[in-house]
This record gives sequence, structure tokens and C-alpha cells, in this order.
Amino acid sequence: VTTPTSAQIGDRVKRIETVPAIPAVLLPLLELLKMPADQVSIDEVVRLVAHDKAIAAQCLRVARSALFARARPPESIQGAVISLGLRRVEDILLTCCLGQVLPANEWLLDPAAFWTHSLGCAMVCRKFAERIAAADAEKAYTVGLLHDIGFLANCLAFTKEFGPAVERATREQIPFDEAERATMGFTHCDTGRALAEQWNFPDDVIQVIAHHHTVKGSETAHSLVALVHLSDLLCRMCGLGYGYCEPRGVDLMDDAAWAILLKEYPSLDGVDLARFTFELDESVEGIRDVVSSAFSSAAMRS
Amino acid sequence: MTVGTQPESAKIATDGSGEPVDPIFLQIRDLVYRTSGIFQPEGKLYLLAGGCARRMKELGVRTPREYWGNLTVQAARDGEIRELLNEITIGETCLFRSQPQVDALRKVIVKGLVAEEVRRAVKRVRIWSAGCSTGEEPYTLAISLLEESEGLLKGWKAEIVATDLNDRSIETAKAGIYGEYALRFTSDYFKQKYFVPAGEKKFHVSDEVKKLVTFRRLNLQDNSKILFMKGMDAIFCCNVLIYFDSVSKARVIKHFFSSLNFGGYLFLGTSESLFQLNDQFHLVHFPGTIAYWKPSLKAGRL
Repeated sequence: VTTPTSAQIGDRVKRIETVPAIPAVLLPLLELLKMPADQVSIDEVVRLVAHDKAIAAQCLRVARSALFARARPPESIQGAVISLGLRRVEDILLTCCLGQVLPANEWLLDPAAFWTHSLGCAMVCRKFAERIAAADAEKAYTVGLLHDIGFLANCLAFTKEFGPAVERATREQIPFDEAERATMGFTHCDTGRALAEQWNFPDDVIQVIAHHHTVKGSETAHSLVALVHLSDLLCRMCGLGYGYCEPRGVDLMDDAAWAILLKEYPSLDGVDLARFTFELDESVEGIRDVVSSAFSSAAMRS
Repeated sequence: MTVGTQPESAKIATDGSGEPVDPIFLQIRDLVYRTSGIFQPEGKLYLLAGGCARRMKELGVRTPREYWGNLTVQAARDGEIRELLNEITIGETCLFRSQPQVDALRKVIVKGLVAEEVRRAVKRVRIWSAGCSTGEEPYTLAISLLEESEGLLKGWKAEIVATDLNDRSIETAKAGIYGEYALRFTSDYFKQKYFVPAGEKKFHVSDEVKKLVTFRRLNLQDNSKILFMKGMDAIFCCNVLIYFDSVSKARVIKHFFSSLNFGGYLFLGTSESLFQLNDQFHLVHFPGTIAYWKPSLKAGRL
């Protein structure tokens, strides 16, 4: 097998047919949800949610599920939004929209696992950024969400090569990038970069997508790349990985990324990583629930 | 960490009420964390609230705020925190309480030992269950190692040293007879393989398992005796240090550090942390659990 050059990877990614358009309400809703919680108009959120039938139905569904339902489950969109909380609405929104990025038959890996990991990583990135008082926790959320889009490019443009890599990663329970390197000679970081460049993503987002497994290789945005790298590892150790567990021990503080992050954010030194992990644990089930309910409803629709 | 070890009752309580928890419990949570190292994330505050409620009833205290007084006013507070800790950790002594810890031992630690066997004079794995109470933990460890006796550990000798302060606990442990409640997380496969029925709904640990475990009375505060505990590959000490003041705790942890071989691991209770008590150990993440690692000489970072 000859490994394609980055130009060849770029060419193949360019030939990907356009992905389905995202719902019109997504961007305004995300903008709204990014505001400080006490400034968000609940009425406006409810209005936008109600505008998109699929999103509205999903919010109601999750709010009425066993995980959230109170003695009397909410019957209106407003009731659903209030009992879910703004951040959960955001998660549902993203899962709803992103779940439709690829048609079901194009996925070479479990889409529910993919979104569980992406949403999980987004959440961990935000929590981590908040904990060390990094400037832009919402940016961290976004890049956490997008860091693995290379897998989508793999599914669309490298179908033949990617299948065996997925099989090997899950069979040997090794990190995906290792399996990709061993079977394809390139990784989702390479294809993700090509896709992100084609979509004209901002440079820091591109850096994260391209270097979250090779932190020292990042050209700019070093601390953001390091933050995503650590969050990604943490997710994979805390049950938010790709549906299989990697049997190994991870020493985050000894990771090169920790030192890079510490240089820019000295407060990292005071982070109680054990407590941070315990706090994550309880978000894990919530995220799994949101994703699995999005996918079971998608399955019901089709 | 929550990987399939949550008791049923906990699940019912989370979706049952949905009522907001009195913020005083956050204060109590933080007090408990500061004094004991046990952390209850927000979703599990109902467990803490339940423990407080039982204590309040016992003491005839009417409000959580009044109970806060019992926990903080000088004269009785140490005793009361101890009582509360008993309530919170109740039901944690059973076999296979934490599957992720068992998996980390089998799939990562034992695997690592075997991989490095050339560096060992004797093919022996040695584990210390410190504060073994009535024997559930050492027997869990013994069964887990026995499962590898025809696999990874073929030709190896396995040894579990189990210590406790309480003579009566040790006698019960040595007898090795458990009821269904203590075996609620033990698979039928293990029950058949490693237990012998002993009367109505009782199970007797088989001799094959018992042979691996040596029980000894040991006070972790006894500095001279603890020095004899050497050459450990792993130490399990769950919900024991939580009762110690921070000075004794730090001292015991230092002893644990020197009892371990280089590259050995210390496991605590599932929601227990060492934060700010020791800077020699490295926090390591395994799938679904954390542990503390004594760096190997090779790593050169002591």
C-alpha cells in the first residue's frame, strides 16, 4: 500500500459530495446559547426550538425520558427547555443536526459512539477551560466537538482504507490513530485537516483537527490543541470513547500536552484532577442518554 | 466511577423526585471532601442527603442546617463526621464492588508485569489489601488473579496480603462465608467456579481462592509494623483513609509509597482522592477508574 501525499488526500476530500445542509435555526440558537446564562431569553430559545419540528420533538422526548422527567413530565416546548436546562438543549441540538450529516449506510464506525465521543469531548473541553480560566471556554467546546471530523472524511472519501482500520482498532482495543497509521499510513487528522481547510475553518480549529494526536506538531494555537488532546484522552478513559475501552493507564500530567497547557495557564497546577474526573463521571450518562435517544428516534423516523 | 456497579436503588432515586437538593448539602459535600477525600458529585448528592437524614433522625435534629452545626461545632464534630462517613460508604463492602478496578488490575497491571518479567528475579505478583474488613476485597482480587492463572500468569505465583485492624473482621474474613447481598455483583460463573454453597443462601469461598490470601492484623498507624510490608505490585485501600486526619493520612500514604515496587499502583475507594496529600504518586487514569502510580525507575521522574 502506498501512502497518499497530503495533496492526494486533499484531492480526494475535495471530491466529497456536499454534506446535507444544517437546519436554519442551528446557528442562531447556538449564538443565543453562547451568551451568559442570565442574559439568555428563554422565550427566544423556545421560539427557535419550536421552529424546527425535529429539534422540538427531540427536546420534548429527552425531557420526558426517565433521566429528566419529574413527577409530571413537561408537555410544552417551554416546559421541556426549562427542565432540560440550556446546556442540555445545546447538546440535543447538535446531536440532532450532526446525526444527519451522513446517511446511515455511509458510516463505517458506530455513529452513536462517534457523537457520544464528540459531544463528550466538547463538554470536557469546556469544563477544563472553565477550570483553568482559559479565555474562551465556548471556543474550546466548539473545537472539542469538531476535533474528530476527519472520521467523517474517512467514511466519505476513504471507504476502502478506513474499514480495516476501524476493525483493527476495535479488535485490538488500541487508539484509532495507531490503527489508522498501521493500516492506512495516514490518520483522521490528515483527512480532517483537508476537510477543515476546504470548509475554510479558522486556523485554530484546523490546528486542533490536525494535531490533537501530535500536540508538539501544532504550528499555532498550542494550548488549545493541548487542551483538546487531554480532554480527548480523559473522555476515552471515562467511558466516552469509541464504544470500546483501551486497556491502559494514562498519566495526563506526564503528557507533553500538560506541560504546554501549564505554561500558558499556571492555574492548571492547582486543578484537582481526581475531583474533576468524579464530576465528569456523572455527566457521562447524561451525554450517552442524549445521543442514544437522538439515534433511536432517527431509527424510528427512517 | 459508574460502570455497571450502581445499585438499583440509586437509579430509582435519581429519576424519582427530581427535586432540587438543599444547597447546604453542597457545603456538607465539600466538608466531607476536605476531611475525608470522599467526593459526591451533584447527581449523587441524594446519597449524601439520605445519609444525613438517617443521622438527623438518630440525633433528633430537624433541619439540614441544624445538622451542619453538629458537623462543625468543635466538641462532637469529629465523631459525627465519622458517623456520617459510615452512612455514606454503607453497602460498599461486597465482592466485585468496582469492576473497573478489577479490569485495570487484570488487563493493564498484570499484563504490564508479565511483559517486564525478564527484569524480575521471581515470577511473583504481590498485592496488599489494606483495611480488608471482612474479606470481600482480597477474595475479589484473588479470584481475578486466579482467572489469569492459566493465561497471563501461567507459571507465576500470586499472593494477596490482607490486613485489618479489627480482629473480629479478620475472623469473619478467614471464614469466607458470604450471603447473596455481598455477592450481588458477583457473576454466576464466578459463584459456581469459586464458591461452595454453605447452607441457606450462603456461599463459602473455595480453598483454591483462600490459598492465595494471607490475613493479618495490622494497624496502619503502627509505623514500625507497617515497615515490613514490602515488595507490593499493587495496594488496594478503599474507604479506610477517609477516617484518618490529614497528618496520619499523609504518613500512611508515604508508607504505601515505600511498600510498593517501582511502577506499582495504589487504588483507593471509587470516589476517594489523594488531592494535596502526596506529591510522589502520579494520578493515572484507567478505563472507568483512577489509581496512583509509583513511577518506575525507568521513567526517571522520582
